Amino acid sequence: MRDSSVRKNEKQNKKLRVTAVCAVTSAVFVLIVFGVLALAVATPDREKSESENRVLKQFPAITLSSVFDGSFMKSFETYFNDQFPLRDKLIAFKSGFERMLGKTQENGVYIGKDNFLFEEPARVDSKKLAELTGAVAKFSQSNKRLKKAFILSPNASDILPDKLPEALKIPDRSEAFSAVKKALSSYSWIDCKTIFEKQKDKDALFYRTDHHWTTRAAYLAFKNLAAQWGLGARDKNYSFYTVSDSFRGTLSSTAAVNDGADKIEICVPKKQEGKFTVLYEASGRKTATFFEKDKLLQKNQYEVFLGGNYDKVIISTAAETTASLLVFKDSYANCLLPMLTPYFSKIVVIDPRYFSDSLKGVMAETQFTHVLFLYNMNTFLGDTSLAAALAS
Amino acid sequence: MVFSSATFLFVFLPAVLLLYFVPFFRKDRQKEFTKKNIVLCLSSLVFYAWGEPVYIVLMLLSIFYNYNAGIDLESHEDEPKTRRRIFVCAIIFNLFVLGFFKYSGFVVENLNSLFSLGIKYEPLALPIGISFYTFQVMSYIIDIYRGDCKTQHSLLNFATYISMFPQLIAGPIVQYNDVEKYLSYREHNVRKFAAGSLFFIRGLGKKVIFANTIGAVYTQICSDGVSSLSAVNAWFAILCYTLQIYFDFSGYSDMAVGLGKMFGFDLVHNFNFPYCAVSIKDFWSRWHISLSSWFRDYVYIPLGGNRKGTARTIFNIAVVWTLTGLWHGASWNFVAWGAFYGLLLVSEKYIFKNLHEKLPRFVRRVITMLIVIIGWVFFSSETLSDAGEFLRAMFGANGFASDNTAYLLLNNMFPFAVMSLSALGFFKKLPTLRNVPLRLAFQAAGYIAVFLLCIVFIVSSTYNPFLYFRF
Repeated sequence: MRDSSVRKNEKQNKKLRVTAVCAVTSAVFVLIVFGVLALAVATPDREKSESENRVLKQFPAITLSSVFDGSFMKSFETYFNDQFPLRDKLIAFKSGFERMLGKTQENGVYIGKDNFLFEEPARVDSKKLAELTGAVAKFSQSNKRLKKAFILSPNASDILPDKLPEALKIPDRSEAFSAVKKALSSYSWIDCKTIFEKQKDKDALFYRTDHHWTTRAAYLAFKNLAAQWGLGARDKNYSFYTVSDSFRGTLSSTAAVNDGADKIEICVPKKQEGKFTVLYEASGRKTATFFEKDKLLQKNQYEVFLGGNYDKVIISTAAETTASLLVFKDSYANCLLPMLTPYFSKIVVIDPRYFSDSLKGVMAETQFTHVLFLYNMNTFLGDTSLAAALAS
Repeated sequence: MVFSSATFLFVFLPAVLLLYFVPFFRKDRQKEFTKKNIVLCLSSLVFYAWGEPVYIVLMLLSIFYNYNAGIDLESHEDEPKTRRRIFVCAIIFNLFVLGFFKYSGFVVENLNSLFSLGIKYEPLALPIGISFYTFQVMSYIIDIYRGDCKTQHSLLNFATYISMFPQLIAGPIVQYNDVEKYLSYREHNVRKFAAGSLFFIRGLGKKVIFANTIGAVYTQICSDGVSSLSAVNAWFAILCYTLQIYFDFSGYSDMAVGLGKMFGFDLVHNFNFPYCAVSIKDFWSRWHISLSSWFRDYVYIPLGGNRKGTARTIFNIAVVWTLTGLWHGASWNFVAWGAFYGLLLVSEKYIFKNLHEKLPRFVRRVITMLIVIIGWVFFSSETLSDAGEFLRAMFGANGFASDNTAYLLLNNMFPFAVMSLSALGFFKKLPTLRNVPLRLAFQAAGYIAVFLLCIVFIVSSTYNPFLYFRF
C-alpha cells in the first residue's frame, strides 16, 4: 500500500518536472517570438547594408493590386528579412559556426589556410578556348604592323595551391596557359605564371579577400612587358603608396567571412601625376587622376583604380612620343594602366564586356602603334564578348 | 507562407497567438470558442492567400461545394440512388479540380507524344497544398457516404478543418474522423501548448538546420550534371538527398503537429524513424503515415484489400501504388517510383517471405535501406532517363572517384555523420543523465539553443551580397 503511494508520488514528481521543462521552454519560445517582433518594430530601418553592399528593401506600399497579385507579400518578406534585427551579426555567426564544424567553402568561395580566400577556378573548355585565341590571333594577322603583347594573369589558386583548403584538388591549368601562348605566337607573351611562381613572397601577389591581383603583381607583369617592348622602364622611376589597409574584397563579401583585411597599394611613375587626363567617354567625365579616392570609403575599394569598369576610357598624356596604345582588358588592368603613361601619348582602353561601339571606328580615329591584351585566366576562360568586339 | 520563414515566425505566428489566446469573451465560453475557430479559419485563409492570392478562390469553392454536398448527403438519407449520385458527383468534382491543376499538363503531353497531336496548353502554377486538402475533403465525403461520421453543420467548423494552416501545405493528411471532436470542443492548457512548442522547435530544426544544409550539398554535387558523376560522388549525393527528404518532410510534419497542439488539436504523427525499417512494408508504416493510411482506408480496403484472393490482392496493390506514385507528382518517374514499391511489396509478401524472415535483423535493415535509396533516385530525378543515368553513375559508369571526392567528403563529413545518426535513431538510444533536474535543464537549454540557431540559419539563408564579381 505504502509502496504504491510512494511510486505514485514519484511518478507525479516526474510529471511535474517534465511539465516544468516544457513550460520553461515554451515560455522562452513565446518570449523570443514576441521579442523579435518587438525588436523588429523598435529598430529603425536601415537604408543600405555595408556588408552586403546593396540598398535594403523598405516597407512596401500596400495597394489593392499589389495584394491581389501577391507582389506586396513578396516585397514584405524581403523587407522583413532585410531589416531583421542584428542581421549582419547573425550572418557572421553562421559563417563562423560552419567553419567551426570544418566547412571550408561558403557560397562557392574556398576558405584556405591563413584565411586566404579563393574563387572557384574556371574550368577549361579547350574548344571554347581555341575559338577565343583564334579570334585574338586573327586580329593580329590583320594588324601586322602593330606591336602586340598579351598579359594573361593566373589566379590565386594557380599560384598558391598550398594555401588551398585541406584535401581540395583543383585542376592544373598549365596546359591551358601553354595553349594560349602557342596560339598567340605573334604576340609578345608576358609569362606571368612563370614570373609569379619564381617570386619569393607569392602571398603578396594576390589579395586575401578579393579575386584581383595586387599592384605588386601588376608591376611584375608591367616590367616584363616594358622589357619586351623596349620601353626602358626603371624601378627607381616608380613609387608605391599604400592607400588603404581596410580592404575587404568581393570574396570576403561572398563568403561572409570578415577576418582580416588587405592593404591596397598604388604604383605611379614619378613626375607623372597631373600630366595626363582620363576621359570616360560614355559619360564625358574628365579627370586628371587614375584614382578615385571616394571609392576607398565604400565596400569595394578596388574601384579606387579607375572608378570601376567602363566601355571605353581615353587617356591623353604629355609624353613626348608618337606611340599610342590600344588596350583590351578586364578589371586586372585597372591598377596597371597608370604605369604605362610615360611611354604613350594616348592610351585607349576598351573593356569588351561593356563595349558596343565599332572597333574599326576606334582604330581609324587613332594611329595606334601598340596593342595590349590584359586578362586574368578566370575571366578569359569565361569570356563571351572579346571575339565580338574584335570583329566589330 | 512557409513555417521556416522569418515572416511566419515573427509576424504571423505572434499575431495569431495573440488573437487566438487573448480572450474576447471572458464569461461566455461558447462564444470564446467560436471566436477561436474564427481566428484559426481566417488566419489560415490569410496564410494560404499569402503565397497564392488567386487560388484562395479555388479553396473557398472547394469548401462551399463539399460543405453543401455533406448536407445534401444527410438530407437524402433514405434515397440511396440520390445519395449515390451526390456522392459520385462530389468525388468527380474533387478529382477534377485536382486533375485539372495537377495532371492536365502531363495528360496533354502524353497524348501529344502518343498520337503525335499538337494540343497546346499553358502550364498552370500548382495551387499550394491542393493534393493535401483535396484528399482531406474526400475523406470527409467518403466517411459521410459510408455513414462513418456525421455531417458537419457549421460552415465555420468545416472551413476550419479544410483550411487549417498548420497542416495546409505539407500535411499530415488529417482524416475528418480524427479531428471532428476537436472542431466543436477542444481543451487548451499549458502542457499541451508546451508539448506543441517543443514539437515545433524540433521540426523547425530538422528543416532549417538539417534538411537545408544537406540539401545544399546534394545540389552542389549534382550541379555539374549527372553525366560526369563518379560512383562515390553519386552515392554520397543520393545519401544526402535521402537525409534531406526525410528531415525536410518529417520536419514539416513535426512543425504541423506542434502548431496543431498549440491550438488544441492532436494531429496524427506522420513519421516514425522510417530509416530504421526492417522491410518495405515496415518502411511504409513509418513514412508519410497519413498518406499510406489514406490509401489503405479509401482505396485498398474498399477494393477488397487482401480478402479476395491472391490475384485480386496483387491487382489492388498495383492500383494503390500507381496512384501513390502519381500523387507525388505528374511525371512518369513518379509512376515508376510507385510501381517500384508496389512490385517490391508484392514480392516481399509472396516470394521472399520465408527467406526474409530468416535473415538477421541488421541485414534486413541494410537491404531495406538500399532499396529505399534506389527509390529516391527515381524520386529526385526529373525524368526516367535522368534516373537511369544516375543509377549507372552509382554503379561506376563514370569511374570510381573524382578529383574533388576527398574534399567533398572531408568538407561535409561532420554534418553528414550527425544527421545520419539522428535519422537512424541513434541519439534516442543514448543513455540519459541520471540526475533528473540536470537532464531537464539540459533539455530545455538544448531546445532554446536549437531555436536560436534556427533563427541564425533562416536569416543567413537570405544573405544576398551585391556581387561585382568578375567585373
